[in-house]
Amino acid sequence: MTDERRPATMLRAAAVSRSFAGVVALDEVTLELDRHEVVGLIGPNGAGKSTLVNVMTGFDRPTAGRVVLAGDDITRWPPHRRGRAGLARTFQHARSFAGLSVRENIEVSALGVGVTTAMARERADRLLDLLGLSSIEGVPASILPHGAERLLGVARALATEPHFVLMDEPAAGLNEAEVPAFAEVVRSVRDDHDAGVLLIDHNMALVMAVSDRVHVLDEGRTIAEGTPDEVRIDAAVGSAYFGRGAADAADE
Amino acid sequence: MRALRRWWPLVGPSLLVTAVALGGQFLPLSTQLQVRSVLVTTVIVVALYVFVGNSGVISFGQVSFVAVGAFAAGLAAAPADVKPTTFPKLIPFLAELEIGNIESLVLAAAVGGLFAFIVGIPLMRLSGLSAGIATFAVLIITNNVLRNWEAIGPGAKTLSLIPQTTFFIQATTGLLIVMAVAYVYQTSRYGRRLRATREDAAAAQSSGIDVHRERLWAFTLSGVLGGFAGGLLVHQLGSITTQQVFLDLAFITLAMLVVGGIGSLWGAVVGALMIAGLNAFLAEAQRGITIGSFDLELPGGTRLLTLGVVMLVVVLFKPTGLTGSRELTWPFSRSRFPQPASPSEPLGSSPGGGAGRSEVEGVDPSATEQ
Repeated sequence: MTDERRPATMLRAAAVSRSFAGVVALDEVTLELDRHEVVGLIGPNGAGKSTLVNVMTGFDRPTAGRVVLAGDDITRWPPHRRGRAGLARTFQHARSFAGLSVRENIEVSALGVGVTTAMARERADRLLDLLGLSSIEGVPASILPHGAERLLGVARALATEPHFVLMDEPAAGLNEAEVPAFAEVVRSVRDDHDAGVLLIDHNMALVMAVSDRVHVLDEGRTIAEGTPDEVRIDAAVGSAYFGRGAADAADE
Repeated sequence: MRALRRWWPLVGPSLLVTAVALGGQFLPLSTQLQVRSVLVTTVIVVALYVFVGNSGVISFGQVSFVAVGAFAAGLAAAPADVKPTTFPKLIPFLAELEIGNIESLVLAAAVGGLFAFIVGIPLMRLSGLSAGIATFAVLIITNNVLRNWEAIGPGAKTLSLIPQTTFFIQATTGLLIVMAVAYVYQTSRYGRRLRATREDAAAAQSSGIDVHRERLWAFTLSGVLGGFAGGLLVHQLGSITTQQVFLDLAFITLAMLVVGGIGSLWGAVVGALMIAGLNAFLAEAQRGITIGSFDLELPGGTRLLTLGVVMLVVVLFKPTGLTGSRELTWPFSRSRFPQPASPSEPLGSSPGGGAGRSEVEGVDPSATEQ
């Protein structure tokens, strides 16, 4: 998806490191995300995936390295400023505004980036329709089933009209029948909303199916990156997922 | 009809308040005074609600703004010919000042808002327990400054001879104005953004919402309304000491908000009318009242004991308050939330529906566990 539709804007984590009291969570990780691609970010539990998303979205600060959005160094920007600059995210446990209705959840996300009430309503109309949430627009977010909650997370991210959406385990809790539909949603974010997607998920089938590129982390380091096919046959990835013994042998 | 339904969360409580105020007019003079006091207390609770209810951050400090409003209005409106002798240390500007009723109320609102804005800049970075303690500290500081700095306050003396203007009309109108401001704010984009931070601060931030700034807006508005409430109060009482706008008032107004329902305007109004009304009734009853042919004189202590028990019972059995922290809804509509046809239905029914893409390529659901 790296065509020349418009000047490429780029989100980049440049040699980002983060340690917590001596424990290294990220070790000089560099990751680039173009506005017209879906990048899958995978790795075992504790590999540093969520830490990387937190650093990129401003909920955490790196101990070294920079985060760059379209040429601006945003490493020290607070999360809300990044949100306004076109960087949206979804959260591991959805984190909807529980007391608000589905529609209000979407509208207030649009209001967050400073649009008028009328524009927020219009965006909500469009997104409710697009994501098939119109029939439940008045329902409080607190009682939504998992699937609808994940879609609401995406709708809320899109309501800010982002350039990049970072999705942290959006498919967790979806049943198998819901996953293919969610894959379509991810593609539509890239194709119809002109937003680059960084997709973290443990569902390998989903990640491999929708990603243009895949980035693999293990113990805070990048161990592989490339197309889904390249990553699938990578020895280091295999060892990270299937056994420590194989990795030690490969290192020597 | 649609407009009425939309504005009902304001119109409904306003009708209740008006009914209470009008009803009070037909009662004996001592009861009229109590009704006025209940209305002014409700103004304070609504002002408190504007910050605490919308932000979800606890504050014991909003009564500070009531206090500065009350003393700004009281000092500015008290007659200039007695002030220099009663308060010899008062700065000349304040001693010579004597302004009218409306100016005095506007001054109270302005001073309350300015004070809240300045205090709010550092304080609004806090949440939870630390916010509670910090705002409590503000209350203590404010009280001590007013009580001891005799250049700008009455000191330990009673500030008196303030024109009594908060009668039926001013108390009722004042409350209705404050409720309208509170409702317009909470339904504006500022209020809605703040309410999102109350639900989930992290999610709100990632939607571009600046938590500190939204809280500061609400805190300042709450200060404006609190200062205004202080102005109404001082013009109701005619005289005031710093102890009347200190701990007791701070705790009782917060309790009223919690009892009514912390998260809604309806809760603030119901809680304030109920607890302040009960408080006034019991205070009268302790002094001895006659209802019909029945003489009632409650023993001393009954008032606070009963209030305590009522609050305890409400909080134990209805933690979200008497109103469930919900706004008053238009009583003549069918259902508040249209329920989903079948909530358990998989989301796949029509996700990318608009784009007409129903077939999914490349994902093999059976490979999920890979």
